[in-house]
Amino acid sequence: MKKMVYAITHLNYQISFVVLKPGVDAQPYLWRHGVNEQGVELEQLSLLNGPGIEMIRIGDQVSYFEPNVPPYSLRSSIINGPFPLAFFNDPARLAASYEFIAVARSRISGRAAQQIRIVSRDRSRYSFNLWLDQETGLLLKLNMVNLKGQLLEQIQVTEFEVTATVHPYLERVELAKMPPVVSLAQTAESEKNWQINALPVGMEIIKWDVHRLPTNGEVVDYVMLSDGLVDVSVYLQRAGLQAGEEGFVYHNESNTLLTRNLGQLQVTVIGKLPAQTANAIVSSITLVN
Amino acid sequence: MTQKHENLSAIVDGELQDDNLISELHSDAELSAKWQRYHLIRHGLRKEMPLHADFDISAQVAAALEHEPAIVAPKRTWKDLPVVASVIPFARQSGQLAIAASVAVAMVIGVQQFNQPEELQDFYTAPATIPGIQGGLSPVSLEQSQPVNRDDVMEQRRRIQAYLTDHKQQLRFKTSVVDAAEKPVEEIEDKQNQESETQPE
Repeated sequence: MKKMVYAITHLNYQISFVVLKPGVDAQPYLWRHGVNEQGVELEQLSLLNGPGIEMIRIGDQVSYFEPNVPPYSLRSSIINGPFPLAFFNDPARLAASYEFIAVARSRISGRAAQQIRIVSRDRSRYSFNLWLDQETGLLLKLNMVNLKGQLLEQIQVTEFEVTATVHPYLERVELAKMPPVVSLAQTAESEKNWQINALPVGMEIIKWDVHRLPTNGEVVDYVMLSDGLVDVSVYLQRAGLQAGEEGFVYHNESNTLLTRNLGQLQVTVIGKLPAQTANAIVSSITLVN
Repeated sequence: MTQKHENLSAIVDGELQDDNLISELHSDAELSAKWQRYHLIRHGLRKEMPLHADFDISAQVAAALEHEPAIVAPKRTWKDLPVVASVIPFARQSGQLAIAASVAVAMVIGVQQFNQPEELQDFYTAPATIPGIQGGLSPVSLEQSQPVNRDDVMEQRRRIQAYLTDHKQQLRFKTSVVDAAEKPVEEIEDKQNQESETQPE
């Protein structure tokens, strides 16, 4: 694992991989990483199909180039891309919530690979199967499976190249040419008149604010939960469902969306987690006042 | 005598080729009876025994042979010509192939015809009678506890979409907020140094 962390943050590599999710086409990505002479990490993640999304990281500034949105940069040491990069930088953080089991060796993408299973300690989250390159420790394959062992999401590396020097594309990247950094308006600490009582083992509240939804402008109370591998959004809103409606579960790609009425409030939970766990989180919400 | 029996048993098993003993078999009635019994035992052990068997057909075969007119020299026919003789097996084989093929075709047609009406029935019976939302064919896995009218469904979908978009956005902003809170000052200074380094390029 240490090898993996080292490899991901220190090596110069170019990896092509494909993300497979239920209900959508395969998404091919190109992932380049390098460390330049100044010791600054350069990283590029690019979606290759359609209009594409381009994410470039220089040190701890990440720039996003997307269709329909003017490019912007954020201060962040991690690209929040299609897979939990945060995890690769600091797997030790997960020890509280997940168990790591080294399983067999096999051959992935034409290379010898070590398989590692990552299972949540309280079986409340999906499990992961991870294959790392034996030689370099880089990611070769990542499967997310539900509690019954059915495949939900898969990342498969198709091309793999570790180089001695930084990729010329990354060398050309200049910080000065990147779009300006957007500073997020720090939302005032809102009154916390509700709380979540039962979090799955290892999950923490990492964000708590009030903001408007981007498309319909509704104001919501928002909490983000995370265990380092899976991020869950919890939204609280005045009841929007018709009386008598119990709520519903909706699956979008590998996300689960669960909405339920709690008295006058409508609670929505979104994240890559089983519906039972989402329901447990909703059920444990109580109003303080 | 016991030696003879042993040899006999070996012959039955195909382990011995003893012409003397075989010629003796013809003359010695006891030995030939034994020969017969050995074969019977062998069949029994190998589970090759027919259910209803007339065990001794040798006598009948012998009788039949008696009545068979002896063929001294078979007449030469056109079949004995070397070319024809070599063609015959092919003809025979292809005949067999043709039969096998036609049987297969008959099977396929039969199976197709047998299955077709059932499939059609299955396919048409269920959803055709229910207008509007069609049972399992709905492309979205929206599990609703109650039937809702169209506008509400649209509204709900819009809301779901809003939530999902926001979720994605929040995921992206997540680290930046955390980092801003946690980042020590020196790293930001580092950052500025880098900026000054890269700018001249």
